[in-house]
Amino acid sequence: MRKNLLSAAIIAIVSMAILLPILPNNVQAADKVGWVGPVYKELADSLMKGFKEYYKKTYNKDVEITFVHPGGWPVCVDKVRAWGDKPDADIFLGAGAPAHEVLKKEGRIIPYKPKDWDKIPAEWHGMKVKDDAGLWTCFSPWIVTNLYNEKVLKALKLPPPKTWKELQNPIYRGNIVQTLPYASGTVHEVVEILLQGFGDKEGWAMNRLLAAQLARFSTGSTDTSQLVSRGEVPIGIAVPQFTAMTARRDGYPVRDLLPDKTTLVPEAVALLKNAPNEAVGKIFLDWLFSMEGQKYVLEGGYFPGRTDIKFSVWEKEGVAMAKHAREALGVDTFWDLKVGFIQYDLDFATKRWDEVNRYYEYEIYRKWGELKSSLFLIEEVEGEVNAAKANKVNVTTAEAKIKEARKLFEADGAYAAARIAASQARAILAKP
Amino acid sequence: MSRGNLFLTSSLWLIIAFLVIYPLSILVLESFKIAGSTGWGIHNFLEFFQDTYYLKTFGNTLVLSSLVLLATTLFGIPLSYILARYRQRGKTFFTALILLPIVLPAYAGVFAFVIFLGKFGTLNLLLMDAGLIQKPINWIYGLHGLVFIQSLHLLPFIVLSLSAGFTTIDPSFEEAAEVEGASGFRRFITVTLPLCTPTYLAGAVIVFLWPFTDWLTPLILGQIDFLPSVAYINIAYHFTDMHRKYMGIVAVVISSLVCIMLFLLARWWVERKKYTGLSKGTTSEGRVIEPGATIKFLSYLYMLFLAALVLLIPIVLGLAAFSRRWVFEPFPTYWTLDNFRVILMETPLLLQNSFVFSGLALIFGIAFGLPAAYLIVRTRIRGKDALDFVITLMLAFPGMAVGVSYLLAFWKGIPLATHWIIMPLALFARRLPYFLRMAHSSYLQLDISLEEASEVSGAGKFRTFLNISLPLLIKGVLVGVVMFFIMAFQEISTAIFLYRGGWETLPIGIFLNWHRGMEFGIAAAMAFLMIVITFILLLIIARIGGGILKAAWGPGVR
Repeated sequence: MRKNLLSAAIIAIVSMAILLPILPNNVQAADKVGWVGPVYKELADSLMKGFKEYYKKTYNKDVEITFVHPGGWPVCVDKVRAWGDKPDADIFLGAGAPAHEVLKKEGRIIPYKPKDWDKIPAEWHGMKVKDDAGLWTCFSPWIVTNLYNEKVLKALKLPPPKTWKELQNPIYRGNIVQTLPYASGTVHEVVEILLQGFGDKEGWAMNRLLAAQLARFSTGSTDTSQLVSRGEVPIGIAVPQFTAMTARRDGYPVRDLLPDKTTLVPEAVALLKNAPNEAVGKIFLDWLFSMEGQKYVLEGGYFPGRTDIKFSVWEKEGVAMAKHAREALGVDTFWDLKVGFIQYDLDFATKRWDEVNRYYEYEIYRKWGELKSSLFLIEEVEGEVNAAKANKVNVTTAEAKIKEARKLFEADGAYAAARIAASQARAILAKP
Repeated sequence: MSRGNLFLTSSLWLIIAFLVIYPLSILVLESFKIAGSTGWGIHNFLEFFQDTYYLKTFGNTLVLSSLVLLATTLFGIPLSYILARYRQRGKTFFTALILLPIVLPAYAGVFAFVIFLGKFGTLNLLLMDAGLIQKPINWIYGLHGLVFIQSLHLLPFIVLSLSAGFTTIDPSFEEAAEVEGASGFRRFITVTLPLCTPTYLAGAVIVFLWPFTDWLTPLILGQIDFLPSVAYINIAYHFTDMHRKYMGIVAVVISSLVCIMLFLLARWWVERKKYTGLSKGTTSEGRVIEPGATIKFLSYLYMLFLAALVLLIPIVLGLAAFSRRWVFEPFPTYWTLDNFRVILMETPLLLQNSFVFSGLALIFGIAFGLPAAYLIVRTRIRGKDALDFVITLMLAFPGMAVGVSYLLAFWKGIPLATHWIIMPLALFARRLPYFLRMAHSSYLQLDISLEEASEVSGAGKFRTFLNISLPLLIKGVLVGVVMFFIMAFQEISTAIFLYRGGWETLPIGIFLNWHRGMEFGIAAAMAFLMIVITFILLLIIARIGGGILKAAWGPGVR
């Protein structure tokens, strides 16, 4: 008889484990709303504080907010995908147009135009800032920039590189970090900016040359900004523009490198299909685009998106971050920003998203070692050719050969062939 | 075969089927899916073996595993010998200290080493300021750094298993060797070490498997070309590219297969030979030697050296925790308590979640592990080896595989993942092998004649267990309990996939705050807090088991 006791205990535990989830665990006390998305914690905290106060003030009720941040935005999109028809949140908070276009295509978001929807521009240099049907709307715009640590660059006696071309100068080699384009949407945008800004052929050449400059690949954009702010690597590629603002406010010696060609990232928000708290979700969206909500966006370290915002006015109203925003941007409203925007083709970019990532992975990342050794040899031989030329030696054939090597490298990405051509050039040079 | 045992086995199998086999088979099914169609096939696997890149990552991982095993073994043998055999002061403290790395989330250690040994880390800046070097030395970015960091993290496993061996060897074997004239080094190589093979292999398998499951350490060091890191990137970052995701799952399945084969190999190796002695003449402490002055000094030096490396982690994290704006300086210059002020607001919930989830996982673990150990050690019931095998197999599955598969399995059909109970259940399933091993080894050390005597006197099996076995097992079980708790406490790879708002644990809090961007100090402060908590728990273990090392690992693989 006794031995059955143990079995009974086990049955009890097993059934407990199975029954627990069936027991009611959601007692409807307060109103609720759930967010999922890749925004930084500082923004989420600020919005939580603001929206809770607003809700209490307006509806005289508490609102309970949950925020799920499983990782960068590709991870967040996948999380929503895993939820299927039963999303565990109401709002997709953050991420640029490509993420939202995917959510739209997969039918995971529903249209809702918040109250001040018309205060957000529809388009900016080819980049959609909101969806025409109201499926998603940008609440915080920023541009793709690079970040540098002025303290470290100064110690290394390096001037800050201002353009994409300058970044390819060998003096910066090993002092640049970025993540993989499939690990971060922002890095993907950089690859795409170079492709659209310089044309596919030159764009890939630039991507190859830039890859040869890297110290290593970081785990993500936040890792990149962390590495640059701490000074471990002085230059970071593809960092959200507002990072420099918040980092400077916190006393870090970092600055934006506004590159010559860039594009807008419309950090956007959308209502999920079958959202369990759709009504509260809509209230949140209305609030987010109100002047009050936009102030909490700025307090959370992100630029506000409405066109009718003046930082100088907000500064007088006592919004602490307005001063930092004005200093970081150099203008009184985000939309006055004068940088080299390219005419960005969003539909085209979204369509070839995976293709670009795969090309980068197979032709640049996987061959990274080969790429570097090939380029370094070409550079060496080029130096030798130039030195010989300076000594009035006839180097016509060697010069032709090394030019061929560079073309093989840059245009064709044939690293091995380029290496061989470079060694041939060197042989020609040695035996005139 | 009694009906009770049969019933027990079937209930355990039911739980295993539900929490291990069902979700993991869903994961395996995913690996056969073909992107862009509804078809199935082995294409993904074929592609994996035809792609030189994947083969390269596979080779890299094997090399890393071998080097880590080599390094931990070379450094572990003297250390475990010192800890197990020499009588000296501060043994408990040193033991707890050297055990510290396994109980920390692996990435906390990596961050500390990046800050200290990075390109512009403390050491390089100090050397450059002193004019000893012109250019920074690359201490950690590369295979050498990975081997160093992972070896330090895994050293405790080898030390635990080897010292378990050293303490349980029957002294008469060594005495016999001495009488025959083999002394010192020769005796150690020819008698002592070979006798430790079973326990050593138990630890070695875990060490060797680790690089097949640790994705974060290579990623942080920018060394992506290792199987788990590639798998993680492919799974976590596939976005719209389903093929990438399936290839990631293929990588997980393949590394799991490697781990399974390795595990079988180790088991076969141990069973091939007989390692047991007949006499039961060991004391609980094993053979303890009073070393000579020189040896004593050298052994202290050695322990201090390793302890210093381990201590770097809490020290560096501590510096980061109490400061801000630590930029390009060997040591912070701006000291503040701000980080702790911030975590004071967030941490109570995180701590509560961590303790509740790990505590529940522990209760599940005891309720499952003790009967399982009993079945495996004491009965001849059919399928007990398979049970042991399946549970131990969990070690071979990367945390993210468990996380992803739980999300696949328990969201739509069986909506377990909508309830917080999924968190302790996942922790339980993932950390189960650790508890089982310990319960198992305690059981092995319990002489069956005591139980038989009780049963002959008329006590039932359950009563025998309560009155005889449990009190005798309690020491080993308690160590297992605390160990299991710590391992559940630091779990992140699975939890990060499963948590919902409000369920964040302390390790998830550290991870999220690291993602906060700049303020690394907040994450460091949380990690520091975590180190303090786990160190206290470790000291508790050390107190419970005077022979903690033995109790904690025991003769793992029979």
